[in-house]
Amino acid sequence: MQFSSLFFLFFFLPICLICYFAAKKIQTKNVVLIAFSLVFYAWGCPWWTMIPLLGSTVFNWAIAKAAVKNRGAVAGKIAIGVGVAVNVALLMSFKYVGVFIPGTTDPSAFLPVGMSFYTFQSISYLLDCYWEKSKPQEDFSKFLLYITVFPQMSAGPIVRYGSVEKALSDRRTTAVDLYEGALRAMVGLAKKVIIADSLLPIVDSFFGKDVAGMSVLGTWYVVIVYSLYVYFDFSGYTDVALGLGRVFGFRFDENFRHPFACKTISEFWQRWHISLGSFFRDYLLYLPIGGKVHKYLNLFLVWFCTGMWHGATFNYILWGLYFGAFILLEQQIGKKRLKKWPVVLTHLYSKAVIIIGFGIFYFKDFGQLGQFFLNITGLSLITNGAPIADPVTWSSLTGNLFLVAAAILCSLPILPALKERVQNSNNTLVYTGGRVIASAACVAMLVICCILLASANSAPNLYFAF
Amino acid sequence: MAQRDTTTESRGSKKPMDPKVRKRLERQTIALTLIVVVPFLCLLTLFLLVFPRSTVSQIEKRDLATFPALSLESLLSGEFTRGVTEFYDDTVPFRDAFKNMGNQFKGLFGFAPSEDDIRFVDSPAIVKPKNDATADTATTTAATTVEGAASRQKSTTAAATTTTVPVNPYTKEEAETNWSNGLIVVKQDGHYRAMELFGGGGGTAYADALNALRASIGANVRIYSMPAPLASEFYTPLNAQDYTVSQSDCFNGVAAKLNGGITAINVCGALSAHASEPIYCRTDHHWQPLGAYYAAAEFAKAAGVPFADLSAYTQGANSGFVGTMYAFTDDSRILNDPEDFVYYVPKASYTADYYDLSFLYEYTDDLFAEVDTDNSYLMFMGGDSRVVQVNTGVKNGRTLLVIKDSYGNAEIPFYTSSFETIYVADMRYFECNLVDFINKREVTDVLFTMSAFSLVGDNADHLSALLSQSGTVPAVTTTTLPPTTDATEPTKITE
Repeated sequence: MQFSSLFFLFFFLPICLICYFAAKKIQTKNVVLIAFSLVFYAWGCPWWTMIPLLGSTVFNWAIAKAAVKNRGAVAGKIAIGVGVAVNVALLMSFKYVGVFIPGTTDPSAFLPVGMSFYTFQSISYLLDCYWEKSKPQEDFSKFLLYITVFPQMSAGPIVRYGSVEKALSDRRTTAVDLYEGALRAMVGLAKKVIIADSLLPIVDSFFGKDVAGMSVLGTWYVVIVYSLYVYFDFSGYTDVALGLGRVFGFRFDENFRHPFACKTISEFWQRWHISLGSFFRDYLLYLPIGGKVHKYLNLFLVWFCTGMWHGATFNYILWGLYFGAFILLEQQIGKKRLKKWPVVLTHLYSKAVIIIGFGIFYFKDFGQLGQFFLNITGLSLITNGAPIADPVTWSSLTGNLFLVAAAILCSLPILPALKERVQNSNNTLVYTGGRVIASAACVAMLVICCILLASANSAPNLYFAF
Repeated sequence: MAQRDTTTESRGSKKPMDPKVRKRLERQTIALTLIVVVPFLCLLTLFLLVFPRSTVSQIEKRDLATFPALSLESLLSGEFTRGVTEFYDDTVPFRDAFKNMGNQFKGLFGFAPSEDDIRFVDSPAIVKPKNDATADTATTTAATTVEGAASRQKSTTAAATTTTVPVNPYTKEEAETNWSNGLIVVKQDGHYRAMELFGGGGGTAYADALNALRASIGANVRIYSMPAPLASEFYTPLNAQDYTVSQSDCFNGVAAKLNGGITAINVCGALSAHASEPIYCRTDHHWQPLGAYYAAAEFAKAAGVPFADLSAYTQGANSGFVGTMYAFTDDSRILNDPEDFVYYVPKASYTADYYDLSFLYEYTDDLFAEVDTDNSYLMFMGGDSRVVQVNTGVKNGRTLLVIKDSYGNAEIPFYTSSFETIYVADMRYFECNLVDFINKREVTDVLFTMSAFSLVGDNADHLSALLSQSGTVPAVTTTTLPPTTDATEPTKITE
């Protein structure tokens, strides 16, 4: 089930909320949330997808207890080693099994929804418990809730156990939580349904077929639109997850901080899919491997894994290593020197790298990727005789100018800055008016979302596939 | 009172707001928001649960999803639950009204071309010649077994051949043009017209199937190939012609692959001469009956049969017709610029017997079905789902079998003055073996007439299947109604 469907918004969610808030005790609330989360997960999926979910949950709960009990001893090391290895093996086997099956076009076709997310949550739980950052959960139902709670289950963020440990046993939903959570969810829904779902057809109409005939500026236009699409699709979905989590009394960590506002690639990854980046930083980057070349080897490993996490196709690995190479380059240049660069230059550099990176992310076909590079660099002017601009692109741009402009503006931290000013304002009119306008805007966006959802089904979230 | 004083005091002051005031204002705005949002969500939930669900979308010309059948297998596979979601999301009450609202909203995403909006940026000049082999590959994805632009590969990049588009007032001039969902929308003569651009193709599968049929049946049976061009052949303005391929050239290329004994008819020239008349729908992917009439006249000439002019027909019109192109483009300009769908009912007597796809008799009725205005093109025999036998008053011993896609439907009424008996079968659904049918029904003339997309796309694969499939033609029993005469209005087909 996905958030951006009328069935979820106006059938599943209302029933879930009624049952949840009708329950008085936290234990009952947990049971309600687990039950609805399992239904949410199983809805539309084959029955067997529940086996790896429930199996890995039981396994990780038990192995964490065993590892902690024998911490420092060989048995403990074996337990934690086996725990991590089983999780990685399970994820890899589902994620990449398609590579070995002849005739399978999508290597991730057999991957149950959300497995990449809940497996990484489980690994973080095991290691945090073993490294004494968290205490293992004694109550299986609470651990099950941590893994399965539906707002974050299918497309993240990758929630650290420590950030929700207390809430699993004791949480309340205040009116502020309800208000902030609902507004956040509405904003997320609007990002997904109004912006991302409207940008996707533009991308499909150009990149959905041979790109050999595309102009240079046309390719730039479409890849920029695609970058915006991925951002709004994923961050919109995350906003809904964070908003709904808040409604249920959870505070999940932010997963995006306006990544396109970055000045360097290192900064971009501190703002983009933060929970994945921090996972690799905390659990992979500092692994004692590589000896003298430790730093470079680990960097390579992190970015190779970042690419691999997204899928088994070559373009994802290339995508990960591409960013790794630029981060290495920035490390060699040094932060201080980079800061001395003109701001315009750093923005141009980082946006160009990021946008071209999304081109790599899109094209699974090597030939098309090569053609994309020819187009984006302008070499296609020579190799294909392609034009600099073309009327189809112009037509698409003028026909979607306000949409693309709105997407660019909303991808920058302008609205949060306004919100902060309103929140900190000492003027009652500004404070009240600002909040009322924000609420009204969210309601208006919800109405538009409903109209769009009623007239056409929303595209599935891109990160469902990961 | 004290609170109000504090509020007034803090307004416009640089002094930090009293935390109590801030808290109170926060509570008030939260309460206000929740008072609006919660009932709104409850009402919307009730609306979706209580109001009658839509079953058909007139805009999208399709039946909406039905509630899935529950079985253990469908439950375990997730098919049932997926189906429930699809049903709930697809059958929203007043769906078409929401669709229109959604499209109106999407119309705000950018500039709609205005009268002063001059065309495109610099001429793209990205036309490349393409050989036939690559053309065939390219067009495998250019069409599918499902008709309609929504199911087709859209061509928004440069089309790939040199073109010889028929010259008429529309193709030799530029026009206000833009792309909408991969289709082209032009403004000509003060009206919007949505069109599918043609990507070209070799049509080898089509030609092979016709050649195989030629070799399988007696030389006394005449075979004709008369593909139907799309509107883009005649109405693509000068500034967009680099993005479409000449259908006339394509038809000639396919004709060159046909063996002797097959007559190829290219109607592009004949239709282009009438381009200023309403020969194609502006809001639908089909031609208007008038376009089918001019094409049918070309066929009658080639077949050497009599052909009645339009005075032998009673003209009718469905005003306010908005066809498939609105749903394909989601462009509200198409919705707001409806057209007349003008049809021609033969004055001569005929009967039409309807059969299922395996040629088992079902009923006898008129050639014209009563349909909603938005489904006007479905009036011909009620669509494509039946095999039809038309018995006319003509006595020339000629029996015509029309193998067609939906484009062919509009031609059928015009053959009632030309052939004694007409069989109509849709190549995508017909279950009988074609050779067996021709032999048993003593067919004298076989006409293949289908859209340019079907000619070069996957639909052509159905033709070879027609030759190899095992369905034999059963004995026919009919209950014939009295021939219709002087019909002026379509009558309802009852099933």
